[in-house]
Amino acid sequence: MIITRRALLKLTAFAPFIAGSAKAADWSVLTAEAKGQEVFFNAWAGADNINAYIAWAGEQVKTRYGVTLNHVKITDTAEVVKRVRDEVKVGKKDGSVDLVWINGENFHAMKTEKLLFGPFAETLPNFALVDTKGKPTTQHDFTEATEGLESPWGMAQFTFFGDGAKISAPPKSMIELAAFAKANPGRVTYPAPPDFHGTTFLKQVLIEVTPDRSVFAKPIDAAAFAELAKPCLAFLDEIRPVLWREGKQYPKSQSEVTQMVADGELLIGLTFNPNEPANLVAAGTLPKSTIAWQHAGGTIGNTHFVAIPSNAKAKAGAQVVANFLLSAEAQARKNDLKIWGDPTVLDVTKLSAEDAKLFTAAPAPGSVSIPGPAILEPHASFVALIESTWLSHFGNG
Amino acid sequence: MALPLMLLFVFPLIASFFFAARSIFDLAGWAALFIHPQLWSGLQLSLITGLVSASLSVLAALLIVSGLYQTKWWPRIPSQVGAMLAVPHLAMAIGLAFLIMPSGFIARGVAMFTGWQTPPNWISTHDPYGLALVASLVIKETPFLMWILVSILNREDVQRNFAGQRAAAVSLGHDMKSIWLRIFLPQILPKLIWPLLVVFTYAATVVDMALVIGPTQPPPFATIVWADINDADILYNARGAAGAVFLSLAVAGVAVLVWGLVKAFAMKREWLMTGPTARDIIRPSGPFSTSWRRAELLRGVHNFTLLHTSGEGGPKGRMRSLLARFLFSKVLLLYLLVTATLILLSFAILWPFPQLWPQTLSMAAWLRVWSNPSALITSLLVAGATTATAIAIIIAWLESQPQRRDKLILLLSASALGLPAILLTLGQYRAFLLLNLTGTATGLFLAHLIPVTAYMFIVLAAPYRSFDPRWRASASGLLCSVPKFLWTIKFPLLKAPLLAASAIGFAVSFGQYVPAQLIAAGRYSTLPMEAVTLTSGTNRPLTAAFALLLMAPPLLAFIAAAHFGKSRWSTA
Repeated sequence: MIITRRALLKLTAFAPFIAGSAKAADWSVLTAEAKGQEVFFNAWAGADNINAYIAWAGEQVKTRYGVTLNHVKITDTAEVVKRVRDEVKVGKKDGSVDLVWINGENFHAMKTEKLLFGPFAETLPNFALVDTKGKPTTQHDFTEATEGLESPWGMAQFTFFGDGAKISAPPKSMIELAAFAKANPGRVTYPAPPDFHGTTFLKQVLIEVTPDRSVFAKPIDAAAFAELAKPCLAFLDEIRPVLWREGKQYPKSQSEVTQMVADGELLIGLTFNPNEPANLVAAGTLPKSTIAWQHAGGTIGNTHFVAIPSNAKAKAGAQVVANFLLSAEAQARKNDLKIWGDPTVLDVTKLSAEDAKLFTAAPAPGSVSIPGPAILEPHASFVALIESTWLSHFGNG
Repeated sequence: MALPLMLLFVFPLIASFFFAARSIFDLAGWAALFIHPQLWSGLQLSLITGLVSASLSVLAALLIVSGLYQTKWWPRIPSQVGAMLAVPHLAMAIGLAFLIMPSGFIARGVAMFTGWQTPPNWISTHDPYGLALVASLVIKETPFLMWILVSILNREDVQRNFAGQRAAAVSLGHDMKSIWLRIFLPQILPKLIWPLLVVFTYAATVVDMALVIGPTQPPPFATIVWADINDADILYNARGAAGAVFLSLAVAGVAVLVWGLVKAFAMKREWLMTGPTARDIIRPSGPFSTSWRRAELLRGVHNFTLLHTSGEGGPKGRMRSLLARFLFSKVLLLYLLVTATLILLSFAILWPFPQLWPQTLSMAAWLRVWSNPSALITSLLVAGATTATAIAIIIAWLESQPQRRDKLILLLSASALGLPAILLTLGQYRAFLLLNLTGTATGLFLAHLIPVTAYMFIVLAAPYRSFDPRWRASASGLLCSVPKFLWTIKFPLLKAPLLAASAIGFAVSFGQYVPAQLIAAGRYSTLPMEAVTLTSGTNRPLTAAFALLLMAPPLLAFIAAAHFGKSRWSTA
């Protein structure tokens, strides 16, 4: 019994070479293979609207391709990176993860450790619709080339929000934010890193106080970073006394900040999804008077992706799902403020007139009125340095 | 029979220790740990909040239990305490936080009078000293210790012994305080060591409550370890593993130290052997006069008669019972308030400060919960199966093994509960990965079985071992077979502790988050897993609904245990 199971495992180990990465012509072969497969999609499950969207996608791929999509609900994608790493280490070929929602340092880690299957993304039929020119981050994840190892799913840009009834002129830069905080002591804060919203807030400060932004495109070492971080730390020290709890305690997550904004304890919240405030207004969590804005000089923007681990069991099924998630229909539904409000990665001008119409919507309360330009993420090597510097500076109250 | 059964518990546990231990020989992890800027501040915070909350909990539990012992309120305690035990730690933290935070219930009430339009700058939750964390821990751990105390005191043998000892002590002039301090406590405390150790370890290593209500900069050390172990970076994982071991060592060190101090001072023989102190007795006219002796004799007789009526005598006794009732009712009230808050929160979509009532109410959270009951069903199945298996394992062990071997299982159990759960599960995960048990129902079951068996063994071993051996002697004298003796005499007599242990096991299984996450690889979704993933988002109504859902089945289990555990001939 055990021997036959081992033999089977060995057979499935060769599956990637049999299935291969899909060229357009192979697509029908791939969908045939995918039929009946069970895809375990590991995705952050902290928001019910997103869970509901994934459930909808599951129904669609089931009826269209006969693929069963199981949403494995996780709190932190790092868990998945570790799980795949451990499974590969012990030689487990029928891995527990078929598809993972990922970007940034988690992608960087999986790519450098060769834990990803592919390249597969750019041969998916629907990849042709992706706006790779207008949205360069669909091929560069935190400046790291994706090389087809992950398929773009949605766009993100750092966005602030608050109650328009309480904020007459939203601060459109970090300098203005500092002035706002001084005028409203105790009502502004940011989540403590390593919450990635907190880390992004610090990156945004770093970028805004650094005159020469070319340094952010390249890897950086600790010594160079210490020098670069000085004006950023000076800025953070300056606003610290007027932050929530005098900057001695920080909320642990972005969602905690959002809740405090809804309760009225804080005035300004932050998010990576420019449509999240509008979505929360639609869900009733935030008041109708909510406004959202981006800094006039731009805010950090990036893309989130789906990837397939190298030891995934249902690689064909996972590719079928990734392709479906890129379809105009799936992207338009995701873009809908009432469903999720996650901006599309597609180039709407490449779509048929009928499909393009799906993406037009009347402005809703809580959406960003004047979008700022998107700024590229600093190189992935910045993250650990930002986090450790912040910790030694602010970590003991 | 008993040994292979016990292996179900011991083998995965030892394998977990082994793999957890292997991950700590990473020197880079230790080096990184000792330069962590929050190591000492976070560790200090963890140990102090752990010690303070454990001490306050045991003090409160003893005050309440001694004050209400054998009063008319006594029989109702098990069901009330059981209900409190069923409230998950996380639910308590979320509910309490909403009561005390600057935009919470209390502040809104104050705002009615002061006219605040924005929440006050109170430092009530996430306070730098961890007072809010200590408060929520005390509120959660006091009922647990009361539960243990009541189940000890309600044992037939203990009741009989204590009644005799009390009568003798009363006739020697001891009042109830002196009896508790000198006679009851020295007998109870040794039985409380393991539960106390569990309480202290839990408090010093708790993660979920600390995240909701505890300090953030620095946070309690366990949350730092948790974040490190969950990080994608291998160096952070190693630092987390080293940190977990370091934290466990620190906790063990402090526990040994405190126990040594308690033994050295509080339980000195001379102090226990002296008679009642001058303050304990009535002195109508000088300590050595004949009238004093006569008064003392009268008092003894008086107390002795009281023993068979209300049980407490004198104004001081009434004061103590009053204090106990006051404390107990306040704890009960807090639980009711927290539950009510959670119920309200589960419907409240938008509830801005300073409104006293939510602006928008909605059933959405509950509809969402009922639309997908599979997680609830999985949790119920796993809890039922593990509790039944654990009780079989433990009884088989206790019936067939000599008592001196219990120490080994107690030690294993205490380490299973004493090591930070995340480190243990990490080791377990590595072991299960090699055995191809990850993502299987068997793996999920075994992973839940470990903490369930550990808790139940700690709770059950002492009452089970103290079962009067004369019962068996008489039974076998009457040619009663062993199974018949167990089913018709021993189990019915031990009904209360058996049911209590089962209820605890059920609740423990119901509260496990980490095994489902790591071992089941998300193949099986349990209720705590759903609840914890949701708390990482913004949906407070859904979080509250899940917290309530987490509390309901254990609540029913505890109420059932309390109800069916009553002895048939109890006169109190």
